[in-house]
Amino acid sequence: MSIQSPKEIGGISFGLMDPETYRDMSATKVITADTYDDDGYPIDMGLMDPRLGVIDPGLECRTCGRHSGSCNGHFGHIELAAPVIHVGFTKLIRRLLRSTCRQCGRLALNDEQKEEFRDRLVRAKELNEDPNDVLKAAVRQARKSSTCPHCGEPQADIKHEKPTTYYEVQNVLSGDYSERIAEAMQPDPDDEDDVGLSPQDLADKAEISLERVNQMLAGEFRPRKDDRRSLEKALGIDLTEEDMNKLMPSDIRDWFEDIPDEDIEVLGINSEKSRPEWIILTVLPVPPVTARPSITLDNGQRSEDDLTHKLVDIIRINQRFMENREAGAPQLIIEDLWELLQYHVTTFIDNEISGTPPARHRSGRPLKTLSQRLKGKEGRFRGSLSGKRVNFSARTVISPDPTLSLNEVGVPDRVATEMTITINVTERNIEEAQQYVSNGPENHPGSNYVKRPDGRRLKVTEKNCEELATKVEAGWEVNRHLVDGDIVIFNRQPSLHRMSIMAHEVVVMPYKTFRLNTVVCPPYNADFDGDEMNLHALQTEEARAEARVLMRVQEQILSPRFGENIIGAIQDHISGTYLLTHENPQFSETQALDLLRATRVDALPDPDGEDEMGSPYWTGQTIFSLLLPGDLNLEFTSSTGDTVIVENGQLLEGTIDEDAVGAFGGEIVDTLVKQYSERRARIFVNEIASLAMRAIMHFGFSIGIDDESIPPEADEQVDEAIRNAYERIGGLIQTYENGELESLPGRTVDETLEMKIMQTLGKARDSAGEIAEDHFTEDNPAVVMARSGARGSMLNLTQMAGCVGQQAVRGERINRGYEDRTLAHYKPHDLSAEAHGFVENSYRGGLTPREFFFHAMGGREGLVDTAVRTSKSGYLQRRLINALSELEAQYDGTVRDTSDTIVQFEYGEDGTSPVRVSSSEDFDIDVDSIVDRVVEAEFESAAEKSAFLDRQEPPTNLSEYGEPRGYEEVESDD
Amino acid sequence: MNRSDRRVISREYFSDDRLAEHHFRSFNNFLMRGMQEVVDEKATIDTDIGDKEGQEPVYVELGDIRILTPRVREADGSEELLYPQEARLRNITYAAPVFMEMSIIRGGEEEPETVVDSTETKVGRMPIMVGSEKCNITGFNDQELIEIGEDPVDPGGYFIVNGSERVLMTSEDLAPNKILAEYDTKYGDEIQVAKTFSQRRGYRALVLCERNRSGLLEVSFPSVSGSVDFITLVRALGLESDEEIVHRVSDDPEIVKFMLENLEEADVQTQEEAIEKLGKRVASGQGKNYQLKRANYVIDRYLLPHLHEDGVEEEDVRINKAFYLCRMAEACFELALKRRESDDKDHYANKRLKVSGDLMKDLFRTALNKLARDVKYQLERANMRNRNLTVNTVVRSDVLTERLEHPIATGNWVGGRSGVSQLVDRTDYMGVLSHLRRLRSPLSRSQPHFEARDLHATQWGRICPSETPEGPNCGLVKNFAQAMELSQNIEDEQSLKRELASMGVEGIPGVNRTTPADD
Repeated sequence: MSIQSPKEIGGISFGLMDPETYRDMSATKVITADTYDDDGYPIDMGLMDPRLGVIDPGLECRTCGRHSGSCNGHFGHIELAAPVIHVGFTKLIRRLLRSTCRQCGRLALNDEQKEEFRDRLVRAKELNEDPNDVLKAAVRQARKSSTCPHCGEPQADIKHEKPTTYYEVQNVLSGDYSERIAEAMQPDPDDEDDVGLSPQDLADKAEISLERVNQMLAGEFRPRKDDRRSLEKALGIDLTEEDMNKLMPSDIRDWFEDIPDEDIEVLGINSEKSRPEWIILTVLPVPPVTARPSITLDNGQRSEDDLTHKLVDIIRINQRFMENREAGAPQLIIEDLWELLQYHVTTFIDNEISGTPPARHRSGRPLKTLSQRLKGKEGRFRGSLSGKRVNFSARTVISPDPTLSLNEVGVPDRVATEMTITINVTERNIEEAQQYVSNGPENHPGSNYVKRPDGRRLKVTEKNCEELATKVEAGWEVNRHLVDGDIVIFNRQPSLHRMSIMAHEVVVMPYKTFRLNTVVCPPYNADFDGDEMNLHALQTEEARAEARVLMRVQEQILSPRFGENIIGAIQDHISGTYLLTHENPQFSETQALDLLRATRVDALPDPDGEDEMGSPYWTGQTIFSLLLPGDLNLEFTSSTGDTVIVENGQLLEGTIDEDAVGAFGGEIVDTLVKQYSERRARIFVNEIASLAMRAIMHFGFSIGIDDESIPPEADEQVDEAIRNAYERIGGLIQTYENGELESLPGRTVDETLEMKIMQTLGKARDSAGEIAEDHFTEDNPAVVMARSGARGSMLNLTQMAGCVGQQAVRGERINRGYEDRTLAHYKPHDLSAEAHGFVENSYRGGLTPREFFFHAMGGREGLVDTAVRTSKSGYLQRRLINALSELEAQYDGTVRDTSDTIVQFEYGEDGTSPVRVSSSEDFDIDVDSIVDRVVEAEFESAAEKSAFLDRQEPPTNLSEYGEPRGYEEVESDD
Repeated sequence: MNRSDRRVISREYFSDDRLAEHHFRSFNNFLMRGMQEVVDEKATIDTDIGDKEGQEPVYVELGDIRILTPRVREADGSEELLYPQEARLRNITYAAPVFMEMSIIRGGEEEPETVVDSTETKVGRMPIMVGSEKCNITGFNDQELIEIGEDPVDPGGYFIVNGSERVLMTSEDLAPNKILAEYDTKYGDEIQVAKTFSQRRGYRALVLCERNRSGLLEVSFPSVSGSVDFITLVRALGLESDEEIVHRVSDDPEIVKFMLENLEEADVQTQEEAIEKLGKRVASGQGKNYQLKRANYVIDRYLLPHLHEDGVEEEDVRINKAFYLCRMAEACFELALKRRESDDKDHYANKRLKVSGDLMKDLFRTALNKLARDVKYQLERANMRNRNLTVNTVVRSDVLTERLEHPIATGNWVGGRSGVSQLVDRTDYMGVLSHLRRLRSPLSRSQPHFEARDLHATQWGRICPSETPEGPNCGLVKNFAQAMELSQNIEDEQSLKRELASMGVEGIPGVNRTTPADD
């Protein structure tokens, strides 16, 4: 295949096509309805004429000389025996017929009106309004006049019978007018008082002479228009009938030919590109065979495309039409054939026109013709052009593997042997390539295909691999298996932010799942309850380089969403570091080395001290510090509440918890990325995860039902607190019932009562929680998790141990149910706490049936909410993406859309990347320390540094008249 | 009662047999009464024979219907009892032959009516619910069940069609024949609407009574596009005088005031005028006689069909309809005056469940109609060729069978509902139990419908508060509570009415008959 340089599309213009253009671009005229002859060769001037392009391999295109695959095909044409209407333009035809003169073809508007509508059209286009409104108004105006303002010809109304028939309609005097008049003059048989109308009465009533009336009754005189009107009025009858004159497509074509160019401009048609008579088809283009390939069935029979079938119909009818006309067939038969031809051309273009039976295949299936190919979700635009399928991808279930680095992904061997990466064989890698080929397709680092320089693709099989390997030379391409270290793209849907698609390094592993380190769960929002993920192997060197530099997981540690790290320790990692550092426990040498065994650290520092037995010990903080860079200085408050101080890479005090190492803004991880490097941060996160897992296993960590129990006296206190709340609520209800409750501003009394009750119950729950909290020990695992931020909250604990609290549906207490009460267990109009869903028990203590039911009511709301919200937010996101997809940050810093309109002069209005700014609270960037750090790293000795920094050169580029300006002046200029 | 006694009782109560009890009761009821009811509704099959001159009309009279237990016809023509396991293994349908008495009757115009042929013939095969009365395994003990390959603890309650087990999903609909008053908005104004789903013999018609923003009452019902004046409609139904109309709605002075506003706007005074006006609405542009005919047809056919009752005069039905409309009007006014709150659609008193028997009845009705059309066609064809008309030759049993089996096999029920039958979830035993006791709301799952998805307090004891799927179907698919009891529709409405009357329920004064409105 020759390499074609990309071409830029300058513009697309839409218009009608001249029949002459159809003929010019046609490769051949098609006259035979047959496709292939008995030998299986395409028939000349048939529908499969080789000049229309080739689909069979081996044949040569007679127009361009190329073979199937490289020849795009060429249009042919059919000379239609009679003009037919193009269904896509029926509305435009109607509009044109109604607004132009049947005689002279000119628009039925005078010059001022024409000018006005032309201006309005221009204006509408300028204002980006719908020009159709103006066009409709113009047509409406033109229809008003009953005669042509140019030639005076009376105009008939145009009736459009869908889809493709047009009539001229005129009301003319009915043939049986005399009978109708006579009948109306007869007395009403049901009404005895009615004696009918004598001709004299009629003459008086209609103000026509009696003589005329008699003539009319005898059918000798046809009443004129005015007489007819007055007669109709006098008798209350209708004397007209509609006279319909069918307009044949040829009539319409003649009519349209007369419309002058300047008039069609007013009707919104570009006269340079389109002439209205071109709407009426006299030549039908025949799509190239490549657009309607025939398929060969297993039994050797050919099966033609739907479009070909339709074209066969058209040619057959066309042929018959011509034969009949030449033979001088009666007008009736000609018209029938004409209609049939029209039907076939119509369904060739669109087979889903209402009012027309769809053309069907022999099996009864409606044919898929041109319009059906384009329309709808599976159509060419939405299905083929916007929708993409992709090769070199794999999908399977994911599972965790803490031994992997966060940059890696475990790829099952069967995926690795199926998915390939293309390598170009050169002199440098020829041995390697030969090795891959000789391993064959089944042994792991093997290959599946090779491609010779002549473009021939060969499948590597177990049988031919050895032989092929010897043939491989520079210039070949080898599709080799994925091997460890290859860069691949990994993705989990829904892809809501850029961290949903990241590049990983392959680690080929046994079994069937993709393996990933648990610290990358937050960016993918993945868990392992059956989630599946997609993997894409990159095929070009550029893509691989780009992915490695920009998309690797370690480059994505900081989230542009909030400018802090999204990758960090999660769940048990955090509990682990908490246990390791909170009370600063001591570890013996063996223990300390065990904790650190999965890290790079293989030597312990000096021990922190000696225990009673005289053996050295290391503290948790010391062990943690081993993972930090030696020059890290930090101070922040942990989520546990104490101050964490890191000096010169030593954790001096404080607890390491979620705020220090967690995903979503762990201070240490964040600082490492920003001050050191992504690489350093990646190493830290990997190591902290390993250390934390070792730590939590060292201490042992479990939670059971007993961990939420509180002593009986605490239960007592909780009950007391709830009793107090009940009493206060009883008081509130009492005052309400006495009508003494004062309403809060902007609320009714009922709302006030509800609010106050809710408040009281909320407080009761909180105090129950406090009581429970006081009775928990520091080493309670639930407390450890809640404090450290690993999982759960103190509220969860309160509900488990103290009191579950008020259940709410849509922000209110539970009010719906039976009439005037929630459940049948309560009296009507009971306002008390328990009747409206207050759960006074704890989860551990157990809920009463009624409490359980109320809890289920409250819980259901949450379930429904999540279900409804996910679908809604997905749609919202989709719309936002579609609205913003074409915006692009340019190299000049501006954000522009596709038409180069500037949307933002600077990206985000401040040109700042969220991941590059400091995340500390005062938002100041410590420029000095960064400069110091950079400069420090740049120079080897102080002398070199000062030699560079202290160098001063006289200012250049000054006007010879100007005084040399001092540095102070320059600095102050801001 | 001590704990162990209670345990014995509850163990007895929650026995295995009760797990699909609702399906059995409903389906048995259909087999025993429902099928015959449907046949009686149909009663005859009329033909076009006799439309031409010199021909005597022919029609078919439908008689008793009888159903056997499932059996299979082998290739050699022999018929044998079929057990569920065999049906499952051989991928055949667990269905029983249905027989019906049919008589072809000729004559009636010039000649006296004569019975041409009268026999009981096989009209088709009815899929049978495993474990129902007509099932071959009912009454078997565990040992016998094991011998024929059945699982003794299998709850039954499903059908076997082409070897696959299908459950009919119970569906939860709004109660028919009940006035529900609620607020609505139209063109930005709050209006009051009283709704009734009037249902009779599978025909369902929604009647709406709206009080629009200018306080005028409008009624809309099927076959009339848009809405009709309330006053026009009640006058057309025979409630003519102003006084009577007002009195029927309410004697409350404020409501009377509202009614007077309506009466002032009324442009018809008599029943004839009203029907004429209605005629213009239902058949505009047609001849006057046709308009009147059509108007009468519409109010007798499409308006509140549930008030029709066998053996009640058309006159009385019409006046009952007028009274019913007046009650709807009253509900609107009361809502407007805040005398009552809008009805809670999610209140379980306003829900009715369609269990397998009801669904099969719908299916059987349309299948029988299809059979009737086929019989008519066959009769006419046989008559045209001057063949002897015999019942056995004109009934093709495949028609009914196909119409019964196909919906169960695919879940595409009559009336365009889909997913009515589902493949039994055999993941595990609990899955089967849960599936048989599942309940589906016809509300669309794509719309939020927050209120309908909530756990309503009236579901206590009836619907499980915990078991509902997560995701789009949350709260729309429910499951029965363990102790749920499903009551059945009563068999004989007349006796119920008599019973109610004996308990002191009075009819509307001024009407001779005591026909309390159905709700």
